[in-house]
Amino acid sequence: MRTFFLGGVLSGIAVLSALRADVAELWEERLRTVVAVEHYVETETERRPSVSYGTVIDENGTIILPSIAVNARSTPSQLKDFKVYRAGSAESAAGEYLGQDPLSGWHFVRAAESVRGELTPITKFVGEAREPKMGEELWGIGLRNKDEDFMPYWMSGRVSLVQSLPMRTAVALDEVTGPGLPAFDAEGKFMGLGLTGFGESFLQFSSSDRGGLPVLMMNVEESAALLTTPEVLPQLGRVPQNKFGRPLAWLGAYGLEPVDAEVARFLKLGSQSAVVFSEVVEGGPAARGGLKEGDVLLAIDGQALPRFRPDRGVVQFVGREIVRRKPGDEITLTVLRNGERQDVTIALGDQPKLLREAERKYFDRIGFTAREFVHDDAVARRVNPQDANGVVAHFVKPNGPASTAGLRTDDWIREIDGVGVQSFEDAVKRLTDIEEDNTRAECVVLVTRSGETAVLRIRL
Amino acid sequence: MSRGFEQLLDAVVRIDVREHAFEAGARRFTSGIGSGVILSKDGIVLTNAHVASPRAVEVQVTLANLERVNAKLVGWDHWTDLAVLRLDLEEVQRRGLKFRHAEFGDSSKLKVGDTVYAVGTPYGLTRTATRGIISNNNRYFEDSRGVKGYETGAFNTWLQTDAAINPGNSGGPLVTADGRVVGINSRGYAGADNLGFAIPSNIAKRVVHGLVHKGEIERSYIGIVPRDLQDFEGFYALSLNTGMLINNVDRDSPAARAGIRGGDILLAIDGVKVDGRFPEQLPGIQNMIASRPVGSELKLSVRRSGETKEYVVVTEKLESRVGEEWAFEKWGLSVRKVSRTYARENQLADATGVLVIGVQPGFPASVAGIQRGDVIRKVNQQPVDTLEVLKAAHAAYEAKPETVLVEAMRNRQISLYVFKP
Repeated sequence: MRTFFLGGVLSGIAVLSALRADVAELWEERLRTVVAVEHYVETETERRPSVSYGTVIDENGTIILPSIAVNARSTPSQLKDFKVYRAGSAESAAGEYLGQDPLSGWHFVRAAESVRGELTPITKFVGEAREPKMGEELWGIGLRNKDEDFMPYWMSGRVSLVQSLPMRTAVALDEVTGPGLPAFDAEGKFMGLGLTGFGESFLQFSSSDRGGLPVLMMNVEESAALLTTPEVLPQLGRVPQNKFGRPLAWLGAYGLEPVDAEVARFLKLGSQSAVVFSEVVEGGPAARGGLKEGDVLLAIDGQALPRFRPDRGVVQFVGREIVRRKPGDEITLTVLRNGERQDVTIALGDQPKLLREAERKYFDRIGFTAREFVHDDAVARRVNPQDANGVVAHFVKPNGPASTAGLRTDDWIREIDGVGVQSFEDAVKRLTDIEEDNTRAECVVLVTRSGETAVLRIRL
Repeated sequence: MSRGFEQLLDAVVRIDVREHAFEAGARRFTSGIGSGVILSKDGIVLTNAHVASPRAVEVQVTLANLERVNAKLVGWDHWTDLAVLRLDLEEVQRRGLKFRHAEFGDSSKLKVGDTVYAVGTPYGLTRTATRGIISNNNRYFEDSRGVKGYETGAFNTWLQTDAAINPGNSGGPLVTADGRVVGINSRGYAGADNLGFAIPSNIAKRVVHGLVHKGEIERSYIGIVPRDLQDFEGFYALSLNTGMLINNVDRDSPAARAGIRGGDILLAIDGVKVDGRFPEQLPGIQNMIASRPVGSELKLSVRRSGETKEYVVVTEKLESRVGEEWAFEKWGLSVRKVSRTYARENQLADATGVLVIGVQPGFPASVAGIQRGDVIRKVNQQPVDTLEVLKAAHAAYEAKPETVLVEAMRNRQISLYVFKP
């Protein structure tokens, strides 16, 4: 009796350890698909390291990083010294930044040849490319911080929801992987890529200020949500041809707002969705095609907009429909205007220069960075992009002369010493002259902020 | 005590006001207390605009002999924070009530250090007199939402006094020892000691005259925002004591249409040189423009990049930043008409629409998702260019509650909402 009981326990242990041995083997192989990528962001006055996690996607050492890996305000020329670390390793190999893909949002980095032999692309572990099932247990790899040599650790959790947001997304009960890192099923097949912004959140209450509001904290190093493999795979081929991800299709309409279920019912939209266009840029592709502010978009190329839960998903859906097309492509939008349906055909344009493509130059003596005025600056300030001139204060050195005079980040500089700024080059030339003139005691700039101008006297 | 001062004490009144407040998504009442001074035999009472505004529905004046009498608002001018009331003379006669009235003094004769007295109703303490001196006779103080959300102080400077001025003193007179009214007490610095401000009597005289005869003070507007030149004289190479910096020109204003820009220097108006080196000089220059009849042609000498040029500007009527307010009670929605100034401040394309200033929880507007700060631009696909459009839609809803489609803007994003019965 006693022996039988013991035997039973032993056999149970045997089964468990068999599973563990199995998983340990899968684990070792799949560790080769994950890396930590470090890079430095060089700003005007400082140099900061930044670490993110990435997944290897091909034999050429190409790695994808989530969109938040790089600050949207930095320009590629400020991103320096990419280094690729294998899980659990203190040794790094050089990496090359390839750029960001506008559709997936991923940043692409290529690891130096020396390390490629030790990496395995995630595509090696793709099975039938299916969505995870409800309640299925998935596992993934977490990476510790740099001071712990990016030591890998095991995570797992059961799928509790699979939802269109608008991309098919699986949400697990626990964190299953790091953001940007893969998750697998019991057989080790690739089931999805960890998303950012889905880590567990915590409320921290202050012990000294008992009536105070709690602080919301979020686990940004781990993720409970996955972009499912069928959504990931088609986008893996979108390695950017240049650092800015061009060519980029452009509609020239902004401020898309979804209609809620009540409004949809009132407009008799049935089970489909709709979005309102808040702004149509003068002279842009949408305006040329006849789109108007306040138009309610119902369908793209005859396909009714699907309904998402929450409603907001439709905004990203429309955005992706534009970005997946090319400049010059025609797109037909069915809109509701003053209660009537009409079709608007638009030839998509080429995205005007983006913020991260804008020229910039730092003037240390005056204490600010002048940035080229680009299309998005005009849109943000509600001015016609065609007749906008001047430069933008992209960075203002704290306590520097410009800062003391009252210049603030994003101020639009229209005049320098009483003379209008014609172009970025014009501004650079004149600011350089001012900086190099040691007899100069001051300069005066005219800036626009929130639609109002102010004259600032900068004492050098 | 002089006989004049005794007479003045008999002319100072307490004012109780009950007024509409629209902020809660419904029409509610609030009440307030202030002071005032009777200026004539026919019952003209001068007080502050922030005591008695057009929102007032009931104004009661307590005379020095502790009799209460009803009064009506004759007009207000938030720019100088002054309002004029008229006692119900019929009631005064019927009840045989007696009152005396005060006389204005000349505020331009006041010197720093002169003794003055403030008389009023601080914290409801009727007929309180405090004593101090003129601390400054030309104080610049401007506030873009200082009088119930309306602008004040752009066209006048203030008398500053250390006579104690507390809440409730508002609208009461600042007087010399002979009982002459040299100012109307208006505000104090919250948290500071003895920093009180009063409107000089010479300005009050003109405003009272205008309000009694026309019911309002009409001012001219050209759309320039001035700034003192003190830091820039050298830079702009100006001759001594000339010029005012134009810091900003309002979009679509007469000055903007004429081609004047921020950063320009205003040298003269119709040949009269302006001197705007210090902040306290700005209200006088602003008033030179504002006091011209609406529609006047002004010739402005403006300096830009070392050259001087003449610009002709035709003035428009000055408008306030606060539009008319209303509450749509069936929807639980309070709104304020978008004014030109509000549209400009918030970079809206035009003044179409109404600003939501309150919603009542559980009512249709709130249930649909409308929030305070939204701008309602269309109702049932009709542009809301006047408050009447929305009033008509609400009246139709009251008569027969049916679903209403509303287009509103929040942070430049347009959304649709339905108000359901």
